[in-house]
Amino acid sequence: MSAGKQATQQGNGHMSDALGRREVVATAAEVAARVEDGMTVAIGGFVVANHPMPIVRELIRKGARDLTVIGNATAGLEVDLLIGAGCVRKVIAPYVGAELYAPIGNCFRRAAENGEVEVWECSEYILYAGLQARAMGQEFMAWRGGIGTSIPELNKDLKVFESPLGDGKEYLAVPAIGADWGFFHVGLADKYGNGQHVGSRFGDRLIARGSDRVALCTERLVPNEVIRRDPLRTSIPYADAIVEAPYGSHPYAAHGFYAEDEQHIRDYVEATAAYRKGDEAAFQEYLERWITGPEDHDAYVEAVGIRKLLELERVYGGAGATGRSVAGVA
Amino acid sequence: MAGKTADEATWKEMMAVFFARQIEDGDTLCSGAHTEISFTAAMLAQRMHAPNLRLQLGGTGWLCNLVGQDVWGVPKTSVDYRISQWAEGYFDHPETFIFYGPPSGGRDYYEHRERYADTNRYFFADHFFVGGIQVDLHGNVNLIGLAKDGRMTMRGPGTVGINDVITVRNMFVFMTAHDERRFVEQVDYVSTMGPSGWREKQFPGNGPQWIVSPRGVFDFSGEGMTARLRGVFPGHSEEEIVSNTGFEVERSRHFEEIPPPTDEELGRLREEIDREGVLRS
Repeated sequence: MSAGKQATQQGNGHMSDALGRREVVATAAEVAARVEDGMTVAIGGFVVANHPMPIVRELIRKGARDLTVIGNATAGLEVDLLIGAGCVRKVIAPYVGAELYAPIGNCFRRAAENGEVEVWECSEYILYAGLQARAMGQEFMAWRGGIGTSIPELNKDLKVFESPLGDGKEYLAVPAIGADWGFFHVGLADKYGNGQHVGSRFGDRLIARGSDRVALCTERLVPNEVIRRDPLRTSIPYADAIVEAPYGSHPYAAHGFYAEDEQHIRDYVEATAAYRKGDEAAFQEYLERWITGPEDHDAYVEAVGIRKLLELERVYGGAGATGRSVAGVA
Repeated sequence: MAGKTADEATWKEMMAVFFARQIEDGDTLCSGAHTEISFTAAMLAQRMHAPNLRLQLGGTGWLCNLVGQDVWGVPKTSVDYRISQWAEGYFDHPETFIFYGPPSGGRDYYEHRERYADTNRYFFADHFFVGGIQVDLHGNVNLIGLAKDGRMTMRGPGTVGINDVITVRNMFVFMTAHDERRFVEQVDYVSTMGPSGWREKQFPGNGPQWIVSPRGVFDFSGEGMTARLRGVFPGHSEEEIVSNTGFEVERSRHFEEIPPPTDEELGRLREEIDREGVLRS
């Protein structure tokens, strides 16, 4: 975080640093420390890709409690993990699982069935409509999807109303939903908080707009010049914190960098399947080995091991050839 | 294709081929949440007879055309980055929902498609797939959970976004198992309405038009748009379907024989798309 001084010494166009342009590079633990019990946190990515895992793990390590978690539209096992670790009081997500790896997240299922978490029943666009209302400063958005389903019966925050246009059609009023913090995983970011996705952006931009504060984990911390080379690609500007986290989505994929770690995910699913049925030993072992054991993200990466990480990078080797990889970027 | 005769097709292959047959050239299709069956069906259709299929493959907004492209395999998840190798376009996931408005904005498109032959229909979903933990006589689908005495006893995966696609022309309800626990008189929760619900609530689209299981196919030609048996997959029987269905099974007036995969269908499926045999495992 002292890089500003070095930049001014290089001269040519870095005077803004001398004027005190704020740098926001932080560690995952520093970000997690700013999350208070009872807050609402949103987590980006999609199914088994691009989840900001160093922050997720730090939330568990610090023993966060009573969080409301806004998942992405197809929330994956990162939300399931937070639930299993006891951090969550309420879940706002239209799905929690990992497709063929786990049609339903085991911790999510156990906690929902036991009444240990409240589920804010919604669908993909009901979630987005709530975030959009928040992003636009409105109290609600009108949406027809969900009419005629059990969703408004299970979620009393959603109000059915008849169209004022007089055609007799029913709509849902979806109240604004927002987060105290939104956490995302991107490919590139600079020290000023400009993030650029590589590959799909999923629902991250809208979820970020529904978040009062934003932290990005990034595969590569790059000079501001690299961001300026292609400002069209800046998908989340003005983040409040940038966490440099190579391999930061592991065990999940990071678009443009590496595929998901199938074996790790299968081990997690197996451990949590036993946990769901009351045998907690394997899940506790998982938490100790992967979450509370490693002292920081670097130690976590070391525990995963270079051979595994190289193997996951090679899966996307062909994708790099399409020109959509970060090749050419420092 | 040597040594691969049609009667060797697995139930997953049969379902994929059945879906592919319903997809016409020029249609638009979103195969969002991953299943190996819906993915391969869309890929097969585009490679075999629908080169102008406008295809959103996966939930991450890639618009794909596989004609002449190297198909490296069947994506394992809906967020496999390598799907982008077949992409010509992209949109953010929340934007998906602004691409579903039909031409004319209303019902007319569904009643008189021929009038809209010259419209762009970019990118409106003619077809969509919905899975379920239960489906009922009226085509209501349940992904929310199971209940007993008004209390949720089994938490399901969640609604995903199927109920949000209120403009879809044809939704395939597809069930990966067919028994009395899944095919019920009435679902415990409704995550997506059946076709009569769509009409009653004045949604623009048609909603579910088919229920497809490993054993056979239902349409909604019954009174009040209720499910009727449209056909039986090769190797299965009508009696078997009746005894494994929790509502009364009657034949559709369109009941027909469903032919097994042709040598071409199965050959191309196995040799051009599913080389690893995902549908055979």
